[in-house]
Amino acid sequence: MTVRRFHAEVGTAFATAGLGIAAVTGAAGLGFGWEESGPQPGYFPFYVGLILIGASLWNLIRAFMKHRAAVLHERNSGEIEEPFLRRENLGRIGTFLAAMAGFVIGTLTLGVYVASTVYIAWSAWRQGGYRLWVALAVGAGFTIVQYVIFEVIFKIPLLKGPIEPLLGIY
Amino acid sequence: MGNFDLLMHGFGVAITPMHLMLMVGGVLMGLVVGVLPGLGAPNGVSLLIPLTFALDPTSAIILLSSMYWGALFGGSTTSILFNIPGEPSSVATTFDGYPMARKGESTRALTLAFMSAGVGALVGVVVITLLAGWASNFALQFGAPEYFAVYFLAFAAFIGMGSASPAKTLVSLTTGLLLATVGMDTVTGEIRLTFGLDQLLSGISFLVVVIGLFGIGELLSTVQEGLRFRGVSSKIDLRDVLRTIAELPRYWATSVRSALIGIWMGITPGGPTAASFMSYGIARQASRKGEAFGTGRPEGIVAPETADHSAGSCAMLPMLALGVPSSATAAVMMGGLMIWGLTPGPMLFATKPDFVWGLIASMYVSNLIGVILVLATVPMFAALLRIPFAIIGPMIVVICFVGAYTVSNASFDLWLVLLFGLVGYLFTKLGYPLAPLVLAMVLGHKAENAFHQSMILSNGSLEIFFSNTLVTSIMLIALALLILPKTLQLGSRLRRKAPVE
Repeated sequence: MTVRRFHAEVGTAFATAGLGIAAVTGAAGLGFGWEESGPQPGYFPFYVGLILIGASLWNLIRAFMKHRAAVLHERNSGEIEEPFLRRENLGRIGTFLAAMAGFVIGTLTLGVYVASTVYIAWSAWRQGGYRLWVALAVGAGFTIVQYVIFEVIFKIPLLKGPIEPLLGIY
Repeated sequence: MGNFDLLMHGFGVAITPMHLMLMVGGVLMGLVVGVLPGLGAPNGVSLLIPLTFALDPTSAIILLSSMYWGALFGGSTTSILFNIPGEPSSVATTFDGYPMARKGESTRALTLAFMSAGVGALVGVVVITLLAGWASNFALQFGAPEYFAVYFLAFAAFIGMGSASPAKTLVSLTTGLLLATVGMDTVTGEIRLTFGLDQLLSGISFLVVVIGLFGIGELLSTVQEGLRFRGVSSKIDLRDVLRTIAELPRYWATSVRSALIGIWMGITPGGPTAASFMSYGIARQASRKGEAFGTGRPEGIVAPETADHSAGSCAMLPMLALGVPSSATAAVMMGGLMIWGLTPGPMLFATKPDFVWGLIASMYVSNLIGVILVLATVPMFAALLRIPFAIIGPMIVVICFVGAYTVSNASFDLWLVLLFGLVGYLFTKLGYPLAPLVLAMVLGHKAENAFHQSMILSNGSLEIFFSNTLVTSIMLIALALLILPKTLQLGSRLRRKAPVE
């Protein structure tokens, strides 16, 4: 699947407009008018939300205008508009994002130390083509440095999971 | 001269063994951050802020600002050696820096870049020294309407003077303002825009947003490109360095012009990135005959570097004196100031002279340290980019997430980083600027409070923003900055089109 720039522009414009609508409705619930002591709490977000919706619509219209020009250009000269994301790029980004989301879920369940060792090792092994034990050593080495910097030097506790207590680390 | 005595006092504060160590450490960390893709000055500083809670504010700001200088130097290094800008503000350096390095003159290119960067920063600091007292006195006359007018001016300047489409800047700006309103309202005590999510009660930390937008966002762009770093040899030959330094005075006109552009763009919220592009463009227009720009012309390196660094250091002046940062990194540092319990603004000069003048004095020293350190360590840092991305990429990811977690020990923030990473990637690809979003997040509360107070003063009439000469002139400048640049552009485009058709 190849994503066209037009689709990305339109999607983003809709998303930002949606954020504006959410803000406006949320602010309307708080009251955006005027009371004895001054403006009500929803006053500022309400109007900022309206501006955001307006700007998003403007971007939407521009995206359509650009798209029409690009289609015309394509018909006249046969040159196809540069796509926003080619399929191979999409795949690369997808893998990277999935691994990153996996790391976040791993951090929340197993703690950051286990998750970062596994994540870095997996990436070096599968993507970097290193041998498994080298990859594991890299991941473990990084994690130890991280432990020393945060917990030992700066005394900042990081997220831990069920495994650290077994090793006597709290 | 009062400022001079204060500066000397500042040197007394800044030059202690502890602070010198922090400067060296800050510059070195900044170099790492500037060289690595995915870690730039704004999010490098964000990552470091939670670690500074143990330091006193003066030491903390010296560390953070030194890191900023280091990151600026590091960004230029990769621009020249690898054709990969480590920082958005060093994009313009790639145009002539990389071609010159390809011709085998990498030492010359690097020396030109670092020396002009040093000169630019020095000019910027001198300007700050001269203007600081005056600016803070001026700001003392400000009341709520004037403050709102200044914030409005900052926002207007981004829309009018930025290189992105005005509608996109507006989207970025208002998104930032809305994100800042999430959570408890400081004026009325109401809970706003949390949509029933308990995790949002305490608001969205701008540090987390910056780490997502700039860190993860930039990494995603790097991954998408599937970058193979192909570098040029990075050995530094001392004789070449000295020969290049001797060559520098020849480009004095470019230097002076670029420094002035940098000062202007640094004090008004144009920011270093815009300054470096503008300076490069003007240098190209002003150049007499010779080799074409883009083929490794020395002026093409001197111009963007000088402007970049003078804008970067001048951005500290409005941040300290008015509480209005003019670059993303300055915005993050200002957020740090507020976390340490300091209020940026004119009173800071009166109540914390040690802090302000210590910082200004440290800028002289740490830039000097920066130039020397960067020349000495370039080969080492260039080697960082030879580590395969499959290893360094995930490490940067882990650093970003761990850094975001340390901001307030909230696991919900990890999801926010992921979300804002996607937002940052999309926004950058589609030409939405990120700096206004960060600026609006940091200034959002203050802008709203100033607006709220003015409205209470005036009983809800907008006329208060035109009630005296000071506030009226600020508002008029703001409106002019908002409307004029784009209108003039449109006008000249129409005029250019007319004869052709």
